[in-house]
Amino acid sequence: MPSTDPASEPSSLPGRRRALALLVNSTVAVIGGALAALLGVFAIRPARGSSRDRWVRAGTLSDLTANVPMPRVLAVPREDGWYRARSRETVFLVWNGAREVKVFSATCTHLGCQVLWDAKSKHFKCPCHGGVYSAAGEVLDGPPPRPLDIVEAKIEGADDTILVRV
Amino acid sequence: MTANRGLTDRLIEWFDVRTRHRTARHVLLDEEIPAGTGWIFTLGSVLLALIGVQLLTGAFLTLYYAPTPDHAYESVRFISSTAAGRMVRGIHHFGASFLVVFLVLHLLRVVILGSYKSPRELTWLSGLALLGLVLAFALTGYLLPWDQRAFWATVVTINIARLEPVAGEAIAAIMQGGSTIGALTLTRWYSAHVIFLPTLLVLLVVAHLVLMRLQGSSGRPVRPKAGKAFPFYPYQAFRDTVVVTLVLLAVVAFAWRGMPPLEGPADPTDAGYIPRPEWYFLGLFQLLKYFPGRWEVVGAIIIPGLAAAFLALLPWIDRGPERDPRRRPLIMIAVMVGVLAVTVLTTLGWRDRPQTAAPDVWTMREIGGRAIAGYSGCAKCHNETGVADSLETIAFTRGAEWVEGHATDPEMIAPGLREPPAARSEREIAAMVAYVRRITRQPYPGYPKDIETAATVWARYCVGCHVIDGDGGHDGPELSHAGREHDIAKLKEWIVDPEAVDPDADMPAFGDRLSPEQLDAIASFLASRK
Repeated sequence: MPSTDPASEPSSLPGRRRALALLVNSTVAVIGGALAALLGVFAIRPARGSSRDRWVRAGTLSDLTANVPMPRVLAVPREDGWYRARSRETVFLVWNGAREVKVFSATCTHLGCQVLWDAKSKHFKCPCHGGVYSAAGEVLDGPPPRPLDIVEAKIEGADDTILVRV
Repeated sequence: MTANRGLTDRLIEWFDVRTRHRTARHVLLDEEIPAGTGWIFTLGSVLLALIGVQLLTGAFLTLYYAPTPDHAYESVRFISSTAAGRMVRGIHHFGASFLVVFLVLHLLRVVILGSYKSPRELTWLSGLALLGLVLAFALTGYLLPWDQRAFWATVVTINIARLEPVAGEAIAAIMQGGSTIGALTLTRWYSAHVIFLPTLLVLLVVAHLVLMRLQGSSGRPVRPKAGKAFPFYPYQAFRDTVVVTLVLLAVVAFAWRGMPPLEGPADPTDAGYIPRPEWYFLGLFQLLKYFPGRWEVVGAIIIPGLAAAFLALLPWIDRGPERDPRRRPLIMIAVMVGVLAVTVLTTLGWRDRPQTAAPDVWTMREIGGRAIAGYSGCAKCHNETGVADSLETIAFTRGAEWVEGHATDPEMIAPGLREPPAARSEREIAAMVAYVRRITRQPYPGYPKDIETAATVWARYCVGCHVIDGDGGHDGPELSHAGREHDIAKLKEWIVDPEAVDPDADMPAFGDRLSPEQLDAIASFLASRK
């Protein structure tokens, strides 16, 4: 059989040898490149839906007193690759007495401690470094660089359910 | 241009002085290949390429895989959730099958052309050890996805190991790790699969190659008179490259066409599951069936052991210098008997599969579970924008008991989040569990309205006492072929009031529990079961 086979009769012709070598080298390079590309994409692809927002129920209007911030701990489902966990996040609900609720994140914008509502002074106070915020979330004193983060919220349904986007 | 070339040459020279890479290249590539060595001698290179691909894809799969019973299944599902992940897992899965196939072909080539003969006995033994090692890879890798198949196949594997004389119990205990097949088994098999076996594999492959190079390629048993030896590169390397490319393309085609199977998560309480091994173990699996009871050890240990011993001793059984297969008739007969036996056993094992409904057809319970989940309000929370994942994407690894608690007691999982739902019967819960297990693996294919209605009735009531397609209770008669004996009218009469048809009937009357529409649906469904 081997007379028709290009590789069977090792030729002393440098041209044939070079052509075969080129074929071998380029095929190996293509296979290696394809494998590297596939494995590269597999390794660096972003985790699926890691930052998907959800609307989470945070109580009803009837739980609130007008203009008194009410802390709520929300269980927020977090998708971490294949791992599903719930993180707890504290927010303050502030009802203006009509059909509007403002929701502040309780995380101090300075270094991430949880602020507390001081009913006497009517301020949010951060226990860590003395940050003070007004009832509207504005910085009054201390190191915080910006007002408390506002969390999107809406009121829905006949029972005035408060939904918070986390 | 000349300046560039001068720089490149100088750089190569600089490296050569320090690494001797030219010598290495010469040793690796300029091996003398005997004249007449042809395409059949490319099988070893195919194996080397496949092993390389397995090592690479396997190493990358560990980026996402988590070897714990709680997370293994989810992590494999996560890997399969992107196209690249499906491809990598597919290549690793089907590559293993190709590896076994080409190992056997390589072994046959060596046996038929007598390449194991002196002075290549140790090369032969190291090759056999590699075969054993690859099978150990297959066995340990099978468990890692932690699905039903993986779990129950491992139960069988460990029970087979238990049959070994004298040390059986001890070996089984080592394989199992803990008191049951669970977390300790999984981490143990994972370590074996990704650390210990690969280390051994690399060492053995190197030994095999070094021995092969020391003794030289055996070449054809009858050398052509004309022709002289030629260098491996690029002549034999060209053949190797062609065959390797074709084989790798075939692996990729398999990975492209079909996802490796992933069944429901491992459920140690589901004793009804019938495990089947990977196809290359089906021959052994079939052999076991011929040796029931106390003779099992013959099929499980003695016959495979004798076959392995025969192979290991082959260079000393077939000792003469003759390598031409035409002049070694006894060995050729032995090879043919062996190949025939393995082929027949594998085919029989393949055909002898349990009678169950086609795996992609939904059972009535699952279809009914969908409607029950619908009116139970699961979708209030389990939806795209809800507090919980939609049922299609949920991480479902819980059993019926947990779901029952979850469905009936809202405080259990999310205090204050929802109102307690209406109580659900045990059968309704079971149907929802079946539905969620199915929907997490396969999108709802859509069934006609009357089948859905019938399925809901079936899943709420009938399934407690009657079986269809292997699913259901056994207090009443099987209804898989109810339509052969009764027409719609008769079935309706029976369902509405069994005692009116047969005064001794144990079945309760359903006349006032079913709407006319539901009664029509279930009766015409049963009548259609011929």
